[in-house]
Amino acid sequence: MSHDRARTDGPVPALELRGISKRYGPVVACDAVDLTVQRGEVHGLLGENGAGKSTLMKVLMGLVQADAGDVHRDGVAVDVRTPQQAAEHGLGMVHQHFSLIEPLTVWENVALGEPGRIDRDAICADVEAVGARYGLTIEPTATVERLSAGERQRVELIKALRRDPKVLVLDEPTSVLTIAESAALFEVLRTSVAAEGRGVILISHKLAEITAATDVVSVLRRGRLAFHCRTADTSAPELARQMVGRDVSLRAEGAALGLVVTDDPAKHLTPVLQGGLDAVPAEPPAPEAPADVPGTAALALHGLCVAGPDGRILLDSLDLEVATGEIVALYGVEGNGQATLGDLLSGLMAPDTGEVRVDGRAVSLDRPGALHEAGVGVIPEDRHRSGVVLDLSVADNLVMTDLRRFSGRFLMRRAQIRAQAEELVERFAIRTPSVDAPLRTLSGGNQQRVVLARELSANPTVLVAAQPTHGLDVGAIEDMYARLREAAAAGVAVLLISTELEEVMALASRIAVISSGRITGVLDVADASPQRLGMLVGGEAA
Amino acid sequence: MSAPSPTPAPARRPLAAYVVGGMGLRRPGADAWRTAAITVGCVAVAVLLAGLLVTISDGSPSEVVDALYTGSIADAAGWSQTLVNAAPLLLVALGACIANRAGVFNIGQEGQLLIGAMVGCFVALRLQGPGWLVISVALVAAAAGGGAWSGISAAMYYTRGVNVVVSTLLLTFIAIQVVQFAVLSPSLLQETGIGNGPARPQSDSVPEFLRLASFGQYPDLTIGVGVILALLAAVVLAVLLGRSRWGFRLSMLGLNPMAARHAGIRASRLGGSALVLSGAFAGLAGGVILLGTVFRLQPAISNNYGWDGLLVALVARSRPGLAVPVAVLFGGLRAGSSYLAATGVPDYLVDVIQALLVLAFVVPPVLSALWGRRLRNRSAVAETPARPSAAAPAKEEVPV
Repeated sequence: MSHDRARTDGPVPALELRGISKRYGPVVACDAVDLTVQRGEVHGLLGENGAGKSTLMKVLMGLVQADAGDVHRDGVAVDVRTPQQAAEHGLGMVHQHFSLIEPLTVWENVALGEPGRIDRDAICADVEAVGARYGLTIEPTATVERLSAGERQRVELIKALRRDPKVLVLDEPTSVLTIAESAALFEVLRTSVAAEGRGVILISHKLAEITAATDVVSVLRRGRLAFHCRTADTSAPELARQMVGRDVSLRAEGAALGLVVTDDPAKHLTPVLQGGLDAVPAEPPAPEAPADVPGTAALALHGLCVAGPDGRILLDSLDLEVATGEIVALYGVEGNGQATLGDLLSGLMAPDTGEVRVDGRAVSLDRPGALHEAGVGVIPEDRHRSGVVLDLSVADNLVMTDLRRFSGRFLMRRAQIRAQAEELVERFAIRTPSVDAPLRTLSGGNQQRVVLARELSANPTVLVAAQPTHGLDVGAIEDMYARLREAAAAGVAVLLISTELEEVMALASRIAVISSGRITGVLDVADASPQRLGMLVGGEAA
Repeated sequence: MSAPSPTPAPARRPLAAYVVGGMGLRRPGADAWRTAAITVGCVAVAVLLAGLLVTISDGSPSEVVDALYTGSIADAAGWSQTLVNAAPLLLVALGACIANRAGVFNIGQEGQLLIGAMVGCFVALRLQGPGWLVISVALVAAAAGGGAWSGISAAMYYTRGVNVVVSTLLLTFIAIQVVQFAVLSPSLLQETGIGNGPARPQSDSVPEFLRLASFGQYPDLTIGVGVILALLAAVVLAVLLGRSRWGFRLSMLGLNPMAARHAGIRASRLGGSALVLSGAFAGLAGGVILLGTVFRLQPAISNNYGWDGLLVALVARSRPGLAVPVAVLFGGLRAGSSYLAATGVPDYLVDVIQALLVLAFVVPPVLSALWGRRLRNRSAVAETPARPSAAAPAKEEVPV
């Protein structure tokens, strides 16, 4: 590896990892990884799921002991065996999954884990001071469960920054943020970095973010440092190739990787909103999509209204139609009613008013399973919550919505279930040791395939896919895209609920934008530009 | 929908699920062997502790073992007593298996059993007719009584969200009062005093021809109708829970209510009926005790059969097939304890031993799960390679 020796000469780096290796049994998670972070530098760390990013950072944070290698802070070798030691050495981290306690307030969460007496007023003042300094305004007495994802991340950031870290690690910080929130976050990173000489490690698998927000980038692939370079000297396609280890088409995979090429990496994420997408040849809309054939709406939602238990309007007379063979995307920022709509179409709740029609027939939404019987297949947003039963076998999960088909008067027909399961495992390339293995033992991508296989095996009229690629790696994402296209080509009306702009642009023929529980506009993909979508997402007419 | 949540973390089985068990469809894996090993260790510790307790209460462990053995399985008479005790334990445990499968944790069997015995007694004493008919009606009524009692909890849970554990437990104490009241009210069930003695707080004795038949004569092995009934129920339930659509739906509901709803299951109907059914089994146990051994309603008729039956289900991990031997074991301990007096060791020591045994069986799966979780957390840190070779499919959940 010639790159890693080519360290920037000059000042003593804020952080240096030398030859970090960690293996778990036969799996080498990190293989002699070197990483140098200068003061005042934003260092991008790229890699697919399983490339070793998290292990490396866990070693750094004292959550995991490395087999070999050492950590230097300001040129001095330090021993990081516990998270407490990491904190003492000025290492702070904001994890991808927030570690906040929802019923507690902001200041309580910030104070959590600190030794000594807790002084409410001092901490509140601290929260406000830190917030003002970095432009992270937040009400210290607000309860965390009422905050949006972006606000929660602010709490995490304030919590980390209050401890005055010399090196701050952010793990996939934008996975739950809107584009505007992401841009704001990177602005904060810049100011905190430039003004105070802290080092920042930004972990991401979204190339657009890395190229826009970092100074230096390192790419990990299968536990090894595959590439290291100044961000200005590289390009998104180059990074994509280094990450995946082969050439990446800018079409499906480009979307999967969040590959939105920006012309000017020095600008923050704003380029995405300024026509950056034009650089990506958008997937041509499925040619067979009869988007404007009237009267063929396979799925029609009319005036759906749902109020939350606290009286908040979750869906506000939502209307949407999806025709046979068409992929319609419902795009918007997370938390604008998509989860409610997903629950509704999964049959988990009934709307206050409004109706759902499948093939022109109204479905009674009070009865569990009615939607499924009417021909609506659902890939739920949170498959563990409503899509699968983790402790049942793969076979059981593959048939559980159609028990009547697989049982006699009383008893289940085990042989028939096995046969069906084996066929679906084969057809959908589900990687499992056997159809009897508990679903829990499958990887996320394969669990998702089980859901997809089950829902499609019922020959649905409509397929609702809510965030179908959340948490999947590139290979699984490509596969999911292909399956969704296939389903549409076979005449299924596909409703794709997504917060990923690239995904929406790559798959859909029409894009409906949801904001505050209502549709603010529906655009053909040809007419959809990031600007117009951005306006609609913000609740304005475009 | 509340505030947006980030990508879901891999869901964990709640630890309580390891105590309750109830997923009969899993093959034994590394976890199972670990659990078995820990169980052996725990039972050894429990036996050791029991021996220690006996020693410090001035008894001799060998005498105690001898007494327990003599009272329970040394001869046909012992076996007879063991089986008589095992029948209601098994019935209660079977009911608990059903509720646990559905994820509703009924712990009020003691009360449901009492109510069942009371209703059964009422029918047996008041209904006129041929013996077989009255016995059948009384047993069905006992089951209905127990079912109705747990049905109160079901109704409260599915309409108002009242916690099932709390309501079934508290209803037990109400049931005790109801039975007290019934046997203290001459207009209800209090015995018609004979001669000059004051009427005691118990019902009249059930006439001879309404008592459950048993096959065999002392000192040979005697097997009562209750035992046969319980065994039959165990077999039927084992098949139903393991292989029927109903059993599958119960498991689905218990393991993931949301996915179950998506699959067309109405929780209030299926879960509610599971709760009612579990109460019915406890009530039936009450009827069997009444017509099989005690013959009259007394406030103490339940004699902890409800609590112990629940423990049987816990030890058996909610599997009807396993509940049979466990119920026999517990029945044997009960039978043996009556022989303890001769050893100078207080007979409540058997309760302590029993409790130790329950802990020895209930704790290992949880320990094993905690241990496995710790192992997993360590290995989960290792991100599995993005593209594991087809020859070595990812065994553990890949962190996403």
